[in-house]
Amino acid sequence: MEKLLVCIQCPQGCKLMVKTEGEEVLVAGNKCPRGASYARQELLNPCRTLTTTVRTEFPDFPLLPVRTAGEIPLGSLFAAMGEINRLLVRNRLRPGDVVLERVSGTDVPLIATADMTLN
Amino acid sequence: MSPAKWDVVVIGAGPGGLAASIAADKAGASVCLVEREARPGGILKQCIHDGFGLVRFGRKLTGPEYAFLDIEEVKGRGIKLFTETFLLDLDRSEEGFVLTLQNSEEAVFRLEAKALVAATGCRERTARQVFIHGQRPAGVYTAGTVQRLINISGYLPGKNCVILGSGDIGLIMARRLTLEGAKVLGVYEIKPEPSGLTRNIVQCLEDYNIPLHLSTTVTEVHGTERLEGVTVCRVDENMRPLPGSEEYVPCDTLVLSVGLIPENDILHPLGVEIDPRTGGPVVDQLLATSEAGLFSCGNALHVNDLVDYVSESGEIAGASAARHALGDYRPPRHVPILAKGEILYAVPQRLDVSLGGQGILYFRAARTLTDAALVISAGGRVLGEKKYKSLRPPEMERIVLDLSLVPAGEENIVLELRG
Amino acid sequence: MAKKLKSVIKELRKFGLTGVCPREWRSSIVLEGEVDSWQEYIAAGYAAAGKGYKGVVNDLRVPGLEPLKEYLPPGRGGALAGKSYDVVIIGGGVIGCAVARELTRWDLRVALLEKEDDVAKQTSSRNNGMIHPGLAAPTGSKKHSYNIRGNRMYTQVSQELGFEFHRCGSVVMLEKSFYRLALPYVRRKALKKGVDGLEILSRQEVSRREPNATDRQRGGIFLPSTGVVAPYMVTVAYAENAVENGAEVHLNTAVLGFEMEGDRIVGVRTNQGVLRARVVINAAGVWADNIAGYANDRFFSIHGRKGTIAIVDKALGSTQSAVLAMPQLGVNTHTKGGGLNPTVEGNLLLGPTAIEVPQREDWSTTAGEMELLLSRHLSLNRRLRPRDIITYFAGVRACTFEEDFIIEPSEYVANLVHAAGIQSPGLASAPAIAEDVAAMTVEILKKTREVKRNPAFNPVRRLTPQLAKLSLAERAEVIRKNPAYGKIVCRCEVISEGEIVAAIHSPVPAATVDAVKRRVRAGMGRCQGGFCTPALLEIVARETSRSPGDVTKGRPGSRMLAEETKAGGKTG
Repeated sequence: MEKLLVCIQCPQGCKLMVKTEGEEVLVAGNKCPRGASYARQELLNPCRTLTTTVRTEFPDFPLLPVRTAGEIPLGSLFAAMGEINRLLVRNRLRPGDVVLERVSGTDVPLIATADMTLN
Repeated sequence: MSPAKWDVVVIGAGPGGLAASIAADKAGASVCLVEREARPGGILKQCIHDGFGLVRFGRKLTGPEYAFLDIEEVKGRGIKLFTETFLLDLDRSEEGFVLTLQNSEEAVFRLEAKALVAATGCRERTARQVFIHGQRPAGVYTAGTVQRLINISGYLPGKNCVILGSGDIGLIMARRLTLEGAKVLGVYEIKPEPSGLTRNIVQCLEDYNIPLHLSTTVTEVHGTERLEGVTVCRVDENMRPLPGSEEYVPCDTLVLSVGLIPENDILHPLGVEIDPRTGGPVVDQLLATSEAGLFSCGNALHVNDLVDYVSESGEIAGASAARHALGDYRPPRHVPILAKGEILYAVPQRLDVSLGGQGILYFRAARTLTDAALVISAGGRVLGEKKYKSLRPPEMERIVLDLSLVPAGEENIVLELRG
Repeated sequence: MAKKLKSVIKELRKFGLTGVCPREWRSSIVLEGEVDSWQEYIAAGYAAAGKGYKGVVNDLRVPGLEPLKEYLPPGRGGALAGKSYDVVIIGGGVIGCAVARELTRWDLRVALLEKEDDVAKQTSSRNNGMIHPGLAAPTGSKKHSYNIRGNRMYTQVSQELGFEFHRCGSVVMLEKSFYRLALPYVRRKALKKGVDGLEILSRQEVSRREPNATDRQRGGIFLPSTGVVAPYMVTVAYAENAVENGAEVHLNTAVLGFEMEGDRIVGVRTNQGVLRARVVINAAGVWADNIAGYANDRFFSIHGRKGTIAIVDKALGSTQSAVLAMPQLGVNTHTKGGGLNPTVEGNLLLGPTAIEVPQREDWSTTAGEMELLLSRHLSLNRRLRPRDIITYFAGVRACTFEEDFIIEPSEYVANLVHAAGIQSPGLASAPAIAEDVAAMTVEILKKTREVKRNPAFNPVRRLTPQLAKLSLAERAEVIRKNPAYGKIVCRCEVISEGEIVAAIHSPVPAATVDAVKRRVRAGMGRCQGGFCTPALLEIVARETSRSPGDVTKGRPGSRMLAEETKAGGKTG
């Protein structure tokens, strides 16, 4: 397995090459250790925070912005969207309130990011 | 219509205005905040993605979360907020300014302010403003409009989208459209390099296999009723279309992320001096405009790349407005800042050297540079120097200048960027 | 062979147009055969014009040219089947709508049919809004007399119908000093033509009047009777007043043919069924020749002449008070070449250009036309820069080869009146044309029955509040009565929700986003709808009991949204 990446840990944008050799992960092109761990993560298990919206039953606030409280695997984003798109919020939530305990089989909750009580 | 009197009135309750009102309140001024939309927060309300607040709060927040922190503080401080209230007219009065406003509850009313902060944000450049031709079918939208339709209203504008412009808003919308079930056929950028952050290129395009076409632009839209396709065309080094390189891309939606323009229309009648390079008012380090008592901040002052800097300028403008309103006013002694070399623009455009302390300067490079050096000097004497490994025009740079170093009697301060 | 036919043949030969076979038909000349290009098609048409025929019918084929495309509304139904009217007007442009309003002065059943989704969709919303002084039209032409009369009528009509009309005057500047030698002649010509108040200006006088006028000017003339209107507003105002006085306006209704009995039209075939009409008025703009053809009365051809127009940000509106123009001698003889004029909304407007186009509904703009527009007109005002342009668009003029209006009862069809070949100065002439067409129509009706005045006719259009025109006290009063007027939706043009709702429920209801725009200007400002489009969609949807997904920009096919997201969450 190998991958070419541009490092996004700082504005320098190092061009990284990362590959597996047996158990070992080799990174080239990085100018600092942060680049190496970024490349390793991107190769083995890239994860992302998902930010999206959930439908509500309030006409003045039809969609509630939400995010996953932590990162979830990149490969599970569309499955998570499918799940989130079926939700309906019935209470006026505030930032940090949990909308869904576990997103798409992970132990990461989905939380509200906007204040629906504000008017 | 007897006017209510305030020390400071802040126009616009986006991140700049929220920060300004908090800062003015902290400084002991009576503050009132005027917002034309139904809720405070400005454009952050629809920026549901994360990446905000790293500089100011030290953590990664979404737009609504970032706004929430300031809104909570505004509420906690009991700052008066008018929402769905529109400024009809702005005029000078003996003591400062008089604002004529309208809303549904109070119909037409007046506010008087000793000092004013204009935090009116910016608007998007449109298809016609980048000279795209053809008829005028439905399905041509600016990225901000698409963002509002998807994130606030809950509608997908189209199913097969082309995005023009690789600025961060365009990239973010590519991901958003994809996650909501639309197909993004490609992002086209007229410049030879992307305008947005590398992070967004990776996480908004590469994650979803969305192609990015550099040195390519959209020249024509096709269709009469709904958009049917666009003509894309490669450009030469002067960004002029290369004849013969035209290609037809069928699509039902064109999303434009082709630049932002500071909105300062309310300042026109007052004759405030505008910097043609930034599109915002000419200011000093207090963010005081050419009109005494009027301060500017955020994207109305110049288009920022980080909301954290919008808030920072709001804090400066709010504190300055409060000082002005509370009577701490001395005539300024302004020295212009001359931006030389590879600088696209610098803000502030002048310094009030009668004040001590620090001055925050923002600038953008005119082109991508590696191993660049910024030198600040006055009368041949170097006041400060900073080296940069790399500089890109989309990324704004911030430096702090110790004003006590500025020699008395200098005619100007030179800010020079060498590539 | 008639002398005039010989002169047509001679003229065609001169241009080398040997593939053209001219043939006389009734009192017109018909061109048949084949030419190599669109340019030759146009050249042949003009070669046959001005030779003494009533009209030029140009049926030349141009191999390789894309066939003529005409938009037809998608709906089919019987909503109008069997309905019977005294007068059916075909075309909801400024002429058709003005004729409808003039006819409601009489006790008549009047229906106006428009194939588009709104009135003023084609040429009447795609021109520069100029009310010309009448100097340019050839003396003795219909254009000349209708222009002079129409211009003088605008003051009263604008008051009755409540649309903005600014008699701002025009300054026609000269590029070379020696052109001044012609000015005494121009002054005599103006007097003879009935153009009011011409003044000759020195270079200094031009600068005094228009301090931002180009340095290239060497004096000129001032024509005080020139005015400007928003042409779509004029059209809507006429249509609304017509409806208030009893006329019907049927949108998305296309005329597909006539049923004839002898020399009379007895049925008008539409996509909504066949309706009966005692008199039919042909005000069909770029398609007026086709409509005439349905009654076997196609004695003229229409060809399109496209004009591109650009709008300058309001911030620069105050840099100029009159229309500015600088004619370029020897350039395109079929238009005065446009100019730079103030608009009633406070913007400036550049154009239009003029280029003959094969497609009559081709409103696309091109980079070339835009460059021409900027290079010719932007510099007339020294303060303007290309970045000040906020939008641009194009329209197509309905031109005949004789280059004059056709305002007359048909010679061969007993109950058909033509108002065709209407191009510049058609808008300026519209009030006068409408008066005459209405009179011709009544004349025909009177042959078979008595025509009485409409005792209930009210020439004054009912107006809903327009905040921009109110004092602060009046504005407050309106908001207190209806809080929707307190909520500003379009921030650039400062248009309230109340005004938008009123437009949606007006006598000619605005059911699309663009129709709202044409009535109240929401979305016409510098952000071009960037901020207010989502809100507009929601208001139109709510007020017309539709989902936002079903709201269109204009024509039925122009839906603005694809689908609702997270539909699954609705039932969750």
